[in-house]
Amino acid sequence: MAASEITVKLDGVSKSFGDFTAVKELSLAVRAGRVFGLLGPNGAGKSTTIRMIVNITAPDSGSISIFGRKIDAQLQDRIGYLPEERGLYRRMKVVDQLRFFAELKNVRGKAIDAKIDEWLARVKLSEWKNKRSMELSKGMQQKIQFITSVIHDPDLLILDEPFSGLDPINVELLKEVVLDLKRAGKTIIFSTHQMEVAEKICDDICLLNKSQKVFEGSLREIKRSFGRNSVAVRCEGGDGVLDDPALVSKLVRHVDEAQALLAEGADAQVLLKRLIASGAVIGKFEMVEPSLNDIFITKVTEAA
Amino acid sequence: MKKFLAVVKREYVQRVRAKMFIVSTILLPMVMSLFGIVPALIISIDTGSPMRVAIVDQTGKMFDQLNVAMFNEAGQQPESANPPRGRVFGNFSLEKVDASGKSTDQIRNDLDRRLRDKEIDGYLILPPDVLDHGQVEFFNRNPGDVMSRRMLQSALNRAVREQRLIEAKVDTKTRQGLFQPVELEAVKIGATGKERDSGGSFALVFGIGFVMYLAILMYGQIILGAVIEEKETRIAEILFSSVKPFALMMGKLVGVSLVALTQLAIWGLAFSAFALYGVGFLASRGLRANIPGIPFSHFIYFGLFFLLGYFIYATIYALVGSMVTTAQEGGQLAMPIILILVISFYLFFPVSRSPDSSFSFWVSMIPFSAPVAMLVRIVTQTPPFWQIALSLLIGFSSVLLIMWIASRVYRVGMLMYGKRASIPEAWRWARQA
Repeated sequence: MAASEITVKLDGVSKSFGDFTAVKELSLAVRAGRVFGLLGPNGAGKSTTIRMIVNITAPDSGSISIFGRKIDAQLQDRIGYLPEERGLYRRMKVVDQLRFFAELKNVRGKAIDAKIDEWLARVKLSEWKNKRSMELSKGMQQKIQFITSVIHDPDLLILDEPFSGLDPINVELLKEVVLDLKRAGKTIIFSTHQMEVAEKICDDICLLNKSQKVFEGSLREIKRSFGRNSVAVRCEGGDGVLDDPALVSKLVRHVDEAQALLAEGADAQVLLKRLIASGAVIGKFEMVEPSLNDIFITKVTEAA
Repeated sequence: MKKFLAVVKREYVQRVRAKMFIVSTILLPMVMSLFGIVPALIISIDTGSPMRVAIVDQTGKMFDQLNVAMFNEAGQQPESANPPRGRVFGNFSLEKVDASGKSTDQIRNDLDRRLRDKEIDGYLILPPDVLDHGQVEFFNRNPGDVMSRRMLQSALNRAVREQRLIEAKVDTKTRQGLFQPVELEAVKIGATGKERDSGGSFALVFGIGFVMYLAILMYGQIILGAVIEEKETRIAEILFSSVKPFALMMGKLVGVSLVALTQLAIWGLAFSAFALYGVGFLASRGLRANIPGIPFSHFIYFGLFFLLGYFIYATIYALVGSMVTTAQEGGQLAMPIILILVISFYLFFPVSRSPDSSFSFWVSMIPFSAPVAMLVRIVTQTPPFWQIALSLLIGFSSVLLIMWIASRVYRVGMLMYGKRASIPEAWRWARQA
């Protein structure tokens, strides 16, 4: 991979707070023009990693380069950052806040007003332009916060749990925006502990657990490497078969269907035959890729 | 630098535009003048008829003296020998009781009855030996009326003193001459020669100290709140990905301070307008207000040390703000600041007594006491220029140093939401950030 295609590169980065090691020997590379998912449970070290990338804290050891350079004030202006802990000035008008955040990224002048209108229209908040942020609902405030991170048209966008607390319609809206930004050639780092969300928009992922990297690579590749060893089943009866540990290593029952992870060496055809033989009425039997969540759990248990 | 200015602009515009600012700018002087005027009005409320006091003059020669003294006491008129007898002056009306042919007990019984019947409000008995022993009894219904008692006491003193001099055969002219007060005029011997200074510049320094004190009390809390604002609203992290903590903190400090200066300037201009109008008004009545002759360089020093005094305390508030998570916590932690402020204000007095002592030198170098102490020294015995410059240098460097520490503490504190720093922790944060 050519260096120019790498937007963010971490090399052996560690960071401790007192006795607590937040990030240990982390190396990763974020490819340009792709959505990079930084995934892991709460407390895995995602936020600390991001804070080091945006130059809020410095690593204890290791190096970080962005656009091939060490971070500095100029580079900061090319980054958009939406932290997990975020807010707005309560008494400030929406338009004034956006202008202020743009000024902090050295974007000023007339052009910014058009940008503000454009973004407000995009997230359907145009009529709230001159309202104080304390008058906005929590979801609206969250969309404004999102705009603060993209108003200066950054080349690298870092989103830490951007969708938490949003209703599905707004999640869909922002997801579309993120994908549009990717199409426009921006690099996006997307941090979340919600695997289902990451699965839908990430090209590459990095799994973190307990301050360490568990896995890094393209989402496609990892799914392929896991193979189609998972079966989505909807059937009546046949419970005894699905519970057989020789065939199914893990069974997750949803409301109207179940997801069965095949045991090592087990064959899906055998499972199907056994189900039919047991007299079960089968509504659905489909080979599916494992969910990111399953992959994560498998990887973490492997590492342990 | 541009980002710093953006922070300054936001702080300034948001605050000056706020209704609070406009309301407080208009209301505060009104409230202050109410506090000044209302008590004076209340005290001077005339609650009705004057106090009727009967005088039993057993010496037979004191009543007239007392009458004159009372008149002078109440009206504060130039000494007048012959006030109209029995007239009401001030809040008193004096009545001479005819004591001839009655025993003291008889007179007292009589007066006690009149006192109970509210024909009089009190009576004085001047015993025959009042000129020797100087003891007079005052009988009344309301011993709590301190003001009237003090006035009577003062008038009695005058009257007795006057009468004693008469008995000592001192003539009228000498008597008046005896009480001619001495006027003490201060003449300052400076490097350039004699200057006549009636204490005007001294009063001005006191005034500057006082305004500084007020400005810190008013705006310290606002600075504290401004620093905490981003923590409470959780904006800090967004900001720190764009702007350096030091620029952010300085921006906030400067922004709020400009608001403070704007407000003070509005008040200052309004006050000057009133004062000029007042001087003009007095001049038209033939009275000349004394405008002290103050060298121009002093005005520059006044400005610089005022700013130093304001900023040195404002930065302490910013430091406190960087350590705490809510304004309430900050308020508690800020209490000692007020104490230091008050102490340094009172240094005014020892420094003015001996402006060139080594004590005065040191307190005028310590940033917290320098603004008042150095200004006092400047208007009393202007110290060498290098001392003034050094004091300013130490002061403004301290401001920057404290802001630097505050920004470090702020940055680390922000990464640990909800945690309030103890002072040792804050120190560790400042070093590690």
